[in-house]
Amino acid sequence: MPLPDWKTTRRGFLGGGAGAAALTAMAVPLHAQSPEPEPLENYAPEYFTAEEWQFVMSATALLIPSGPTPGAIEARVPVFIDLQLASGFGSADDWYMAGPHIADADPLLGWQSPLTPAEIYREGIAAVNAWCEQTHEAPFADLLPQTQQEVMTALSEDEVPLPPELRGLFDLLLQNTKEGFFADPKYGGNHRMAGWTHIGFPGARASFLEWVDKHNVPYPLGPVAISGERG
Amino acid sequence: MITFLRILTGLVLLGLVVLAAILFMPVRTTPALAALPEDYTPPEGSGEYAMRLADCSACHTAEGGVPFAGGRKIESPLGTIYSTNITPDEDTGIGSYSLDEFRAALYDGIRQDGAHLYPAMPYANYRKMSEADVRALYAFFMDEVEPVSNAGPETALPFPFNQRWGIRTWKWAALSEPGELSSTGDAAYDRGAYLVEAPGHCGACHTPRNLVMGEAGYTAMDGDFLMGGEIDGWTAPPLRGPDSAIRNWSAEDLKLYLASGRNNHAGVNGEMQLVVRDSLQYFTNEDLDAVVAYLRALGDPAAGDNAPPVDPPRTADRLDPSAGGTQAVLTAAEPGMALGPRLYLDNCNACHFVDGRGADQVFPELDGNPLVTAPSATGLIDTILNGAEVPSTTVRPYSLRMPDFGHRLSDEEVAELATFLRSAWSNSADAVTTADVTARRETAEERAAAE
Ligand code: HEC
Ligand code: HEC
Ligand code: HEC
Repeated sequence: MPLPDWKTTRRGFLGGGAGAAALTAMAVPLHAQSPEPEPLENYAPEYFTAEEWQFVMSATALLIPSGPTPGAIEARVPVFIDLQLASGFGSADDWYMAGPHIADADPLLGWQSPLTPAEIYREGIAAVNAWCEQTHEAPFADLLPQTQQEVMTALSEDEVPLPPELRGLFDLLLQNTKEGFFADPKYGGNHRMAGWTHIGFPGARASFLEWVDKHNVPYPLGPVAISGERG
Repeated sequence: MITFLRILTGLVLLGLVVLAAILFMPVRTTPALAALPEDYTPPEGSGEYAMRLADCSACHTAEGGVPFAGGRKIESPLGTIYSTNITPDEDTGIGSYSLDEFRAALYDGIRQDGAHLYPAMPYANYRKMSEADVRALYAFFMDEVEPVSNAGPETALPFPFNQRWGIRTWKWAALSEPGELSSTGDAAYDRGAYLVEAPGHCGACHTPRNLVMGEAGYTAMDGDFLMGGEIDGWTAPPLRGPDSAIRNWSAEDLKLYLASGRNNHAGVNGEMQLVVRDSLQYFTNEDLDAVVAYLRALGDPAAGDNAPPVDPPRTADRLDPSAGGTQAVLTAAEPGMALGPRLYLDNCNACHFVDGRGADQVFPELDGNPLVTAPSATGLIDTILNGAEVPSTTVRPYSLRMPDFGHRLSDEEVAELATFLRSAWSNSADAVTTADVTARRETAEERAAAE
């Protein structure tokens, strides 16, 4: 399903400017090595209810699993999603939301829901949990891993019955999970630049002129975040 | 004992006589340096141009305020001095100044009411200004500037510096003879000497201070003139002598720096930024050439004939992989490298590059840059903490912004980085301590809070 508008904009990502200018626009006074934040178990969500938080923890852990390399949980992706939903992205501040909304229009016509991302999560999680209760007698977070996998697959294939205005839930969740894994750590995810380190992305260093002619030589340095934190 | 008492009494008496002299001897002001006819009218536009040459607006305009309405804070070692309103407003400005009173302010630092002006007003240099420029300035301020009623904050220095009569003794010790400058017969050089030594008051910042805090020289004849000074903690680099970086600049580079604040080597910063923004960019082409001719010839008459050094090419090829030293460390990018070069790669390399040579007229060179290697590291620390901006000028309208890194780097990191830069490539200057950085960060925060 093509859903271009769902990405928190690239501009938002870089904090107001592209390229080197990104370096100028940091509000958070983080210094190079920030102290370890509150562990996820103790995190007090800004947007999610306790039940929703359990859902998002389990769902993102399934989408980017932890193993020998860090997954969504180590990268604190749920925190990223919580903070985004509590902010202007959650309330669709810079989206066109005046309608008309024809929620059941052909998916090829793009985003048609009258709901904001925060509302999609709220109503969507409730709907999926209700469906899990119906079919498996427990909310999503309490299901066995194998069952969670099946529910998630069904959700991705539009096989969980959801009202049309919620049908974008899975794509939104997957998109935001990837963003939380790869966005700059200042947004709460990509903790200790786990996502960047995993794929070898060097972060906000902005120029590699001296490497242009070096072919097949791995770039040796770990990443650096917009805050200056070194990975 | 008797002798001692007699000497003591003598000294006290002498002190009283001197004090009485300071207080009661009438102040004699410098007369006009040339006799111009009573009805002399300055050529059209010459008043505004003389104002640009002398940069009256830089000091007499508050940040974001109405031009010439005063109220700008000037930090001095004695305390904050406020510039005054020099619009022709009768009550709060200089509307009631006669020509002679105006000249006395410029030449002798004497206010209309006879009070002595603090030398933050650069009469020490202006006293060499020609009568034609004084007349042009007077006509400009009386007839072309709109009167603005603005009383502005009063300068209130702590005792004893609030005793303005004391400035009179300072003037006796610190000022040089008024008057026009001697002529060498080389028209461009002579014009350059006039511009730099008189209205341009370049020496106010670029000349070291002597024991009484006067400028240690006022003309090219004085060995210390333009040998480097300090302003707001920053080094104002020497413009002559073996340590002057501009010795190695071509005439075009020097001219471009003066006119636009940028060239193939440096970007303008600190107080010099205002000089470029408010004054130098308005100099005519001939006057810029004159300043360049003068500065290049100063103390080194052959300089004009020196071929400018040839710069290496400035493309990716220039980053020679076989280069040693700093460039090799930065190019190898080994994770075990020291913190200084690592911080450079993480924060600065994008614009200033591994060879520290930046990009022509956009990103200044850090290798051999006088701001980086200055005796006082304050300018370097401030630039890293607060960023910098080369102003927009007529010949180069786009301003160039260097981001601020104060929120990205801790004081320890800024100190490590600055220490690295001061010894990187061909640079060789003292280390910077964390305490130096903390002090500058506090100064910046205090100033921001006071805004
Ligand atoms: C480097 C800063 C600086 C520059 C440049 C400067 N002034 Fe001033 N000027 C001052 C300060 C500061 C005072 C107030 C000094 C005091 O209160 O003792 C002052 C005072 C004066 C006064 C006395 C006004 C009064 O009645 O209080 C006059 C007149 C004056 N300036 C004219 C000029 C003119 C004309 C120019 C340009 C040719 C000029 N100034 C350039 C800093 C400057
Ligand atoms: C208010 C103080 C002040 C005045 C007045 C001033 N300068 Fe400067 N000047 C500085 C400072 C500070 C720097 C260092 C700026 C930097 O590093 O970016 C500087 C730098 C320079 C440089 C670059 C030197 C180098 O080695 O990089 C030149 C050239 C220069 N000034 C020329 C002049 C001329 C010519 C005048 C008079 C028209 C003048 N300055 C007046 C403060 C001043
Ligand atoms: C986005 C590009 C950019 C980055 C990144 C950058 N600079 Fe700059 N730098 C500039 C520009 C543009 C100037 C010219 C601005 C000026 O001098 O006012 C400049 C000027 C300077 C100057 C003053 C040079 C002079 O001639 O007066 C110093 C010193 C400096 N940079 C050091 C650094 C250091 C240290 C870092 C890393 C912490 C850094 N820069 C990162 C663009 C950059």
